[in-house]
Amino acid sequence: MSDFIFIALSLLAIAGAVMMLVYKNPMYSALGLLISILAVAGLFALLNAVFLFMVQIIVYAGAIMTLMLFLLMFLNIKENDLPKEPNKYLLIGIGAIIMIPFNVVILKAVSNLPNSDMEIMEGTFGDIKPIGMQLYNDWIVPFELISILLLIALIGSIVLIKRNKINKENS
Amino acid sequence: MISLTSYAFVSMILFSIGVIGVIARRNIFIIYMSIELMLNAVTLFLVTFARYHFNMDPQIITIMVISIAAAEAAIFFSVIILLYRSKKSLDTDIFTTLKQGEKL
Repeated sequence: MSDFIFIALSLLAIAGAVMMLVYKNPMYSALGLLISILAVAGLFALLNAVFLFMVQIIVYAGAIMTLMLFLLMFLNIKENDLPKEPNKYLLIGIGAIIMIPFNVVILKAVSNLPNSDMEIMEGTFGDIKPIGMQLYNDWIVPFELISILLLIALIGSIVLIKRNKINKENS
Repeated sequence: MISLTSYAFVSMILFSIGVIGVIARRNIFIIYMSIELMLNAVTLFLVTFARYHFNMDPQIITIMVISIAAAEAAIFFSVIILLYRSKKSLDTDIFTTLKQGEKL
């Protein structure tokens, strides 16, 4: 059963990513990325990472992609504002040829590892409580640094927008 | 039947599509989305190895990657708004103010 779910989710993830790569309109691309992110969240659930499944849906699909769609609608981009990409498919082909050796190297390295059972299992692995215990015991310093980083990002984005307004008033 | 290699295969394909998006497209939104896709592929790889080694540290690193992506999104979107206001375009080839020899 979980084999079929894995195949369906991975096909959805790859199809969404290809949709993001190919479409000209950024709105359709954002919807393709949304499909891909939700499929990756499903793969997290197959890998016993219940908390990450939740975080992926709430933060990526819920916050970042919604902000992005909101921004796309807010900027009101017309068809002729979009950049012209005459040799897009040629560049995609060249990029695919460049990436093949890296993929082969990494897949060879991974397939030499001893195989183990990757099925869904019973137990508390990946639940909220053990992750929270580990996060607040072993990873407390990186966690606090992340909070400072988020604060700086918040202040920085406000300053960037605000400074533009002040410059406009002066000139 | 699902092995480590199949998960690695999916995440490598997603990462490659992200790299190709950064190389091939010129729309700045698509480049941002490709960066997000690459981060997602790397987190999928990390979570796969967390399950493989039965260790929860990679999942915590994944939480940190997601929060850094959220911080990055805030800065990136405000910069995109500023660029779009001043140049009225989303083409990355127009944003050449920092290029050597370019007049402001």
